[in-house]
Formats: sequence, structure tokens, C-alpha cells
Amino acid sequence: MFHWLEKRPFFFGVGIFIVISFAGLVMIVPHFVEQARPVVGTKPYTTLELTGRQLYISNNCVACHSQLIRPFKNETDRYGSYSLSGEYAYDRPFLWGSKRTGPDLMRVGNYRTTDWHENHMMDPAAVVPGSIMPAYPWMFTNTADVDTGWAEAETVRVVFNVPYNKDIPLMDGSVVQVPLASTVEGGRAEALIEAQAVAAEMKNQDVKDAVAAGKIPEIVALIAYLNALK
Amino acid sequence: MFGLTLGEFQAYGYFALTTFAVVMLYGYIYHLYSSEKKGTKDYEKYSNMALHDEITDELVEKKEEDSKTEDSKQDRET
Amino acid sequence: MENRPLEYDYTVAKMFLFTTMLFGFIGMLLGVVLALQMAWPEFNTILGDTMAEYINFSRIRPIHTSGVIFGFTLSGIFAGWYYIGQRVLKVSMAESKFLMIVGKLHFWIYFLAILLAVVSLFAGYSQSNEYSELEWPLDIVVVVFWVLWGLSIAGLVGIRREKALYISIWYFMAAFLAVAMLFIMNNIVIPTYFVSGAGSIMHGVSAYAGTNGAMVQWWFGHNAVGFVLTVPLVGMIYYFLPKESGQAIYSYKLSLLSFWALMFVYVWAGGHHLLYSTVPDWMQTMGSIFSVILILPSWGSAINMLLTMKGEWKQVASNPVIKFMVLSSTFYMFATIEGPIQAIKSVNAIAHFTEWIVGHVHDGALGWVGFIIMAALYHMAPRIFKREIYSKALMNTQFWMQTLGVILYFTSMWIAGITQGMMWRAADEFGNLAYSFIDSVDALHVYYIIRAVGGILYLAGFIIFIYNIIKTMSARPVEERDLQNATPMAA
Repeated sequence: MFHWLEKRPFFFGVGIFIVISFAGLVMIVPHFVEQARPVVGTKPYTTLELTGRQLYISNNCVACHSQLIRPFKNETDRYGSYSLSGEYAYDRPFLWGSKRTGPDLMRVGNYRTTDWHENHMMDPAAVVPGSIMPAYPWMFTNTADVDTGWAEAETVRVVFNVPYNKDIPLMDGSVVQVPLASTVEGGRAEALIEAQAVAAEMKNQDVKDAVAAGKIPEIVALIAYLNALK
Repeated sequence: MFGLTLGEFQAYGYFALTTFAVVMLYGYIYHLYSSEKKGTKDYEKYSNMALHDEITDELVEKKEEDSKTEDSKQDRET
Repeated sequence: MENRPLEYDYTVAKMFLFTTMLFGFIGMLLGVVLALQMAWPEFNTILGDTMAEYINFSRIRPIHTSGVIFGFTLSGIFAGWYYIGQRVLKVSMAESKFLMIVGKLHFWIYFLAILLAVVSLFAGYSQSNEYSELEWPLDIVVVVFWVLWGLSIAGLVGIRREKALYISIWYFMAAFLAVAMLFIMNNIVIPTYFVSGAGSIMHGVSAYAGTNGAMVQWWFGHNAVGFVLTVPLVGMIYYFLPKESGQAIYSYKLSLLSFWALMFVYVWAGGHHLLYSTVPDWMQTMGSIFSVILILPSWGSAINMLLTMKGEWKQVASNPVIKFMVLSSTFYMFATIEGPIQAIKSVNAIAHFTEWIVGHVHDGALGWVGFIIMAALYHMAPRIFKREIYSKALMNTQFWMQTLGVILYFTSMWIAGITQGMMWRAADEFGNLAYSFIDSVDALHVYYIIRAVGGILYLAGFIIFIYNIIKTMSARPVEERDLQNATPMAA
């Protein structure tokens, strides 16, 4: 039987394939039937937050920052309560990371402010002496690609049924809605309103001027995303 | 499926497949050594495919056109 | 057709030999830059503030990893395939015009894919999945060259003269199949432009959310390591070491057994990247257990390699190519015992997220992958160019420089990683955290410097390697009969 297989490259290849796909069939595939359900209070990202998340991705922040708090006392002391599966229900892709050159950011929105991020992104070592994080000054001048942020939100709404414009239950029993405009123009307008709120708390005059002129610098979108991490 | 929950089905499936794979692996070990002992097949000679690999070198095992009949014949011969 | 004796045709192997050197140099150079940036963050702005957007740590990190894995290593594997494939199947590429065209197309599309990958990653197009950063249009180019490789394997196997498939071919086939499955499954995205009609056409959103995404990603991520950085290279050493030393594999049966065991066990182990995360507990435990079992097939291959040299250990002293391969097998054993240790849950609690993992990856990548690929190229170059190796002395110099580089690298990263892990969890007498995060960054400065020195030594050795191969192209010609086993080399 074995000898028969070894002489027939095609069936031999099929045999190899069966053996290597075995683990995936047992571990990965059945799990997908039980889709991840969001925990109470988990909201989808707004257009501006998703735009910021895309910047977090394209600048590969995940190379140094995790978004996964493990259930150890030192981690919950340092970063907040440990991660639950449902909290990631709207994370496409997941951004857990595998290396902490810098600290975890899963709940950074709970303990850092817009002001802190503004100073830190411009010059990390000035805020945290000894920091080896690079500075990101160009994010204050580059304009964010809000269209793609809206496109992603619209896509996940259509394809994965992400509950935009629907009631989302919160811990205190109340409900909240995350609005999503039906056109890209509407998405831009929504993002601009959010951006104005962020820019109002910032000091950089160029950023304030840009937002006043209807443009959204990358830093504003990124901070909106970081503030949403809770 | 068959009155099982998905988790149960997954667990039984895992157990059955793993048992099968283990049996196959030990069967293969038995096959490798017994066929060498009985003289039906010498796996060690395949090492020569790396050592004598010039295009003019003699083949370790010739590829036959009609493999069905030749297989069994060659198995008996070697 | 004139009556010329049939010869192996190394055209395509030669093309991949050059890209191995090119991408290896780029990938390792970027690695050194990253190491320097971590030791001294001023290196982020070394090309001025305007260029900092493109050369800061976070931008070039995926180019380093992709460049080394998919540029350097894949080139080496493809060069190995187009060399070994012909020889152990005893069929020449020159015998089939079709396969020659497939081979060349494979090369050019591969080359294009890597160039586009480098450009797009510099520009910031990334989906942030480790080792799978490329956006969907590039993924399609990757699939095309992978299919062409498959066609080339199937074609050569189809017209072979040798009935049985040598063990190396098994490994190449497995690598092809596994990576095809993993790559496609992990890169399923919905292009947002086609659904919403707005935004960038490059952007796609992952089909998997959160925990599911993590499972698929590390099922891919771990096995990309397995089936790119291990499986085909085991196949290569199973050819090159016996051939170079003239010794038959110690136990061919053991090589077959380890093959099947590796195929079965490897894929399960991805879960060890997700210990203490939000994936189901049984999956974490499974990942942990299978990682430990993985020692058996890995050591089966490695011990088989080392025992192949039984009674011929004097060759290790006299022949640098053997030296490279023996050290490579040793590092393989080392990395495959270190990995399972890190996969034990209680060890992982300290090791995860630290530099120790980086150290582990690099004693595998620099020690095992780098050394076996360079040894393979040293073996192939004289046969491809029909000339002896330019300088044996340079080979030895390179060997010791790079060995020292690897040792500096992994020892410093071990200490750094365990320091980090211990500092993060340290508590004072009242149970409060003893250190703030930045304390753990400060503590690593000296290890980052040692690591950078190790990296520079390895890169310098690689430059010597490139120089040696380039000079080999115009070195003293040798006769066919001198190429039987040990590689000819000038003092």
C-alpha cells in the first residue's frame, strides 16, 4: 500500500495534502461556525476611527505594540482588564501583535489623552525620556484617506452585517448607535465633525487650520482611533 | 449531525483521525523494516539517487511505461 | 539536432542564485538598520526628516522580514529546486521547451512580485498580518508565481527517468502544497473598492475578525515558517550534505519517517503563538503539546544529517561547505529544542512579547536557514559556472565571522528577553508593579548594541560570500570529473 503510493506522484501529493490539512480541518474550520459575538458595550469603529486604524496598520504599529492583555496580575495592573474574545468582534484584521518593544495599547484610550498623543507622536522621547520610538511628524501634515476608511466601514456593513445605524446595548442598559452615512460624501462630512472634536483638544496650529479648511491630517484620525481603544 | 453537537463531533472526529494516523505511521515503520528484511524492497538504496545523479549515471530504479504490471514484477524481483 | 550529449540545464537555477544574493543583501542590510534603530533611535532620521516617513523602524520592519523570508530564502529554495530537481529525477530542463519557459516565467514573475512588494511596503501598503503584509493585488501575483512553481514541479516529475522520488522532492512537494493552502486561506479579503465604490483600490478588509483572524493568521504564520524556512531546506540538506561528503544518508528510512511525522505534527503547533490569548483553551493546549512533540521529527532529520558524517568527521575540518552544513544542522537542532521550550505555557508567560522570541527566530534564520542556503550556493556555483570556488580562505573567514555574529545575536536577545519578561512581572513588597515600562526599555540598551554588532558581523560575512561567488564566475575552470563530490576550491 505504501509502496503503491510512493510510486504515484499525484496520489502521493494528495496524501501529503491530506496529512497537512488535517490540523486545519480539526482546529480552524469548525470554529468558524460559532462566529465571534461582540460583548456588551463593544461598538463598531466610526469612519474616522477606521481611517486611523488603517494608518495604525499601514505604519505597522503592530510591530512594537500588542493589543492583547493576558490574564496575569502584572498585565491587568499595567494595562487594564484582560482581553475578551468578543471585544475583537469588529477587528479586521486582529492587531494582537507578537512583540512588545513598547507597551500594550488595547485600552490606551482609558489612560492617555488627545493632548498626550499629540505631544508623544511629535517627539516620543520628550514625553517619555529614554523612549526608542520613532517620531511621526509627517502625520501632522499628511492628509488622511477618509474615503478608504468609509469604504471599509460600508464594506463590513454590507458583507459582514456589522451593526452600523443600529441599537448597540451598553453595560448600563442604555443603547447607542454608531452612524454610518450611505454615501462617501456623507462619510467625509461625518468624519470631519469627529475630527473637529479631536482637533479642538489639540494645540498644533497647522492641524487646527487644516481641519478648519475641511482637511483631516493623519494624526487626527490616528488619535481618534487610539482614543477609541478602551 | 448524527445527534451530536458540533463540539462532540469535532472531538470524536479528532480522536478517530488521530488514531488512524498513528496506526498508519506504525504500519509504515513496520512496512519499511519488514520489506527490507524480507528482501522485497530496500529503501536504503534510494540514497544513491543523490550520490549518482549525473544524467549519464545508471538509474536506481527505471521508470516503466506500464507501471501496473511492472510494479508487481519488480517487487518480486528485488 | 546535432549529436550533443545531454546535460543538465542550470539557466533558471542561476537566475535564482543571483536573486538569493541580491535579496539576501537587502534583507540583511535592513535588519542591521533595524537593529541600529533600536539601539540608537537617531537612526530613524538618518536620511533626514523627509525620508524618515519611509525608513523609520515600523515601515522597514515588514520589508526586512518579507525580504529575508520571501526574497532570500525563497530564492535559495527555488535555486535549489531547479538544481536538485533535475539531478535526482535524472532529467534535464533542456529536454522540455515548455518547462524551460515555465521556469523562466516563474523567475520573472517572482522577481516582479518581490520588487512590487518592496515598493508597496515602503509606500505603506500593508495589512499588518505578520509575514503576510501584502495587499490583495500583490497576493494575486504571488499566487501566479507559486502556481508556476507547482507546474514546474509537476512537469519535471512527470518526465522523470528515475521511478522513485528522492526524499528532497518529497519535501519540495510538501512545501508547495502547504504554502499554497496557507497563503490563500490567510489572505482572503474583500476588496473594499468593489463593494463600496470608493477609496483606494489596493485596500481589502480581512474575511476573519478578531480571534478567528488570529487563529488563521498564526496557523499561517507558524507554518509559513515551517514550510518555507524548514521543510524545503531540510529537503535541500538531504541532497547537498550526502552529495558534498560522498556519504549516503545515514538512514533513508528515518528520513521518510521524519517526513511524515513532520507533515502531521507541524501544522498543529501554530497555537503556541496564542497562549493565554482569547482563543479556546483546548487549542492553546494542543498547540503547546504538539510543539513539544515536534522535537521528535525535527531531531530525527537533524540527527540523521549529523550521523551521515559518521566516520568522515575529518571532512568538517577540511571542507568549509561541510562545515557550513554541519553547523546549520546543529542550529536546526538548537532552534527546534528552543522553540518547544518557549511553547510550554509557563515559559511562554515570560517569553511571549519579548526579545527572546526574536532571538529564537534568528538562531533559526541566521544559523539554520542562512547557513544551509549559503552552503547550497557554494555547492551549486562551481557546477553552474564550471569553475572552482574563488577562495577557500574567504569561506573560512566568512564562516567564523558569521558564527560569531549568530552567537552574539542570540545570547544578547536571550538575556534581553528574559530581563524584559522578569521586569514586566516584578512586584515590590506591597504587590505593586516594581518597574514602569520604560525601565524595561532602558535596561535593554546594551543588549541592543551587542545584537547590532552580531548583525553587522553576519552582514559583513554575507558580503564576503557575495564577493566570493561573483569572483567564482571568473575563477579557474574545472573538469566535469572534479565536480563529483567535494566542491573544488582555490586556497
